[in-house]
Amino acid sequence: MRLDRRKALLVAERDFRDAAGDLRLALAMAGLAAVIPIVAGLGIRALAYFGGGLSPLVERLSVVGAFFVVFLPASYSLVLALESFVGERERSTLEVLLSTPLREAEIYAGKVASVLSISLLLCFGALFVYCAVTYPGLGYFPLGILVSLGISTICQVAAMVAGAVIVSANARTMRAANVMASFIILPMSVVLQLEAALILVGRGELLWAFAAAMAVGAAILLRMGLGGFSREALLSRESGTSHRLRRMGRALADAYRRAPAGPALLRARRWPILSSLLAFPVGAGLGYLAAGVLPQQFVKPALNSLLATSAASDPASLAAGIFLHNLLAILLAGLLATVTVGLTGYLLTALPGALLGYAAAFSSWGLALTGILPNGLIEIPVAAIAGGLAIHIGASVIHMEPEGGWLRRMLDAEAELAKALLWMIPLLALAALLEAFVTPRV
Amino acid sequence: MLEVDRLAKRYGEVWAVREMSLTLEAGSTLVLLGQNGAGKTTALRCLSGLLQPTAGTVRVGGIDSREDPDAVRSQVGMVPEVPGLYDRMPARAYLDFFGRIHELDLETRTRRIGDLLDLFGLSSAGDRWLGTYSKGMRQKVALIRATLHRPRLVLADEPTSALDPDSARVAWAYLEELRRQGAALVVCTHNMDEAQELAGEVGIMSGGHLLACGSIGELVDQAGLKRHRLVVERPNLEEVYLAIVGRGRADEARPA
Repeated sequence: MRLDRRKALLVAERDFRDAAGDLRLALAMAGLAAVIPIVAGLGIRALAYFGGGLSPLVERLSVVGAFFVVFLPASYSLVLALESFVGERERSTLEVLLSTPLREAEIYAGKVASVLSISLLLCFGALFVYCAVTYPGLGYFPLGILVSLGISTICQVAAMVAGAVIVSANARTMRAANVMASFIILPMSVVLQLEAALILVGRGELLWAFAAAMAVGAAILLRMGLGGFSREALLSRESGTSHRLRRMGRALADAYRRAPAGPALLRARRWPILSSLLAFPVGAGLGYLAAGVLPQQFVKPALNSLLATSAASDPASLAAGIFLHNLLAILLAGLLATVTVGLTGYLLTALPGALLGYAAAFSSWGLALTGILPNGLIEIPVAAIAGGLAIHIGASVIHMEPEGGWLRRMLDAEAELAKALLWMIPLLALAALLEAFVTPRV
Repeated sequence: MLEVDRLAKRYGEVWAVREMSLTLEAGSTLVLLGQNGAGKTTALRCLSGLLQPTAGTVRVGGIDSREDPDAVRSQVGMVPEVPGLYDRMPARAYLDFFGRIHELDLETRTRRIGDLLDLFGLSSAGDRWLGTYSKGMRQKVALIRATLHRPRLVLADEPTSALDPDSARVAWAYLEELRRQGAALVVCTHNMDEAQELAGEVGIMSGGHLLACGSIGELVDQAGLKRHRLVVERPNLEEVYLAIVGRGRADEARPA
């Protein structure tokens, strides 16, 4: 990627001035970023004062407060980014910028830097105010957690900005962009709630894992945003907007027709299929290890009830149940791969592997393996292939190209799974029959 | 200066420009005429290096827009239909920003911006935010912005549509001066009188096709108007345009 930093800085400087120049917006953002931390900090101090001093509850609430105080200014980044990308596009100022010799990467980097700097200034300003109001004289200062908060805030803001760029590539108006922005703000608020829950149950050390996950997420989204930020994608008009349903149907049919089948498909997707297959022994190992950690009183009754249900059913119903369960698992993995970035593709093989390992820990590997033979010889390869195709769907979701065509690529990936189901379904049925009629006799 | 060979651009299922070929020498003008949706704006975007052709080639100053679009854009000055100005920026700072993008040094920027604001009668308003400007003033700023770096090819999409007659005359005089200095001009307009007065060459577009391209005299021949004329008078451009577009539509409607 070629990028002239001076030119990126030029764009960043202009955007920064533009956002800061809107006094009403700047005052509202700065005001809220200052007032809310003061109120929250005073609330914590009052709790400590009237609640009899420092207690674990006060400590944990003070940390939760810090997370909430930072989240509000972090959420401004979304507003600023949408304004910077979609707003400019709507007012045709982006087209003017794109018609200059600036490269897309310079415009993208400049705009992202501008939004990041404003948002982080507000976030860290709010955190500073909150700490200054809350902690002096309290006898508690959670430095480690606050550092992890600082890191995850940077990543959170970067992820929101990158998400907004992706939205801007797919939204023509600010109204549409604001609706689509819910897909960014809602997962972020769920992350905040999970973080708060971890703090409240006293597992603050796990926040580092969140910070790491946010960093990975931000890196993926920033790369996607850069991939999708192109003159072609931003200026090419959506044509033939009438008959949208018909066009969608035709796109689906085309994708299905284009999808490779049989050995060609296996060859084309060999790497994701292999990585999904690899998740099976990894899952088995983790399941084996987990047996020593997970309390048996939770897991064993669930497994026993599962075994009792399968033993009580007649073989035909059992076969039907197994077939439907496996088919549903594959369909769900394929559909959810779009929102889990292909993670469900790994789960499709890792979870059965984990169950096998868990069972092996309480008996032996030999006994556990006989429990999945011979049906496993069909089921596991089918799961690995379906998992590989789900991983490919996830990879298609996070891969954006300058000329656009994101939807087409995703449809192509989904169509591959749909086409593979044509021969997977008979194999799943055969495996279910084996599991119900043959495996119990082995 | 500009060589276009079988340029085509498709948006999804729709071909916005089809099989467009033309050449334009330095110091010459091409006026593109066509109804709304004829493909003029898309053609300009492809000529400016803003969009990549789906098929065919565009060369500006010998540079292929597909091979080095950045270099093409640095030689082009684009005046879009909508001025697209930053409302919370004073005109002078705004133009300076674009001068810096084009890597003009401080002295050149200051001089050019001052001269052009003077020329278009905007000197006294140069430090006011662009959001306070009238439609005509905004269009003038857009024209200055596009030509600040003395581009070799100026592409203008209805550059005088919001200007009063006096300002329009100043704008055309300025574009004419750029042409005399060696720039090639491609101008899209709906104003036939302006087109007739300006044009060295006229291109007529309809349904993405460049139906005809040449001097007004050549277009008169192509339109077949001379044969129907009893009086010896020069047919005006509007008649030529209507005749060519009408024939183009009839050709399209005819079964293959």
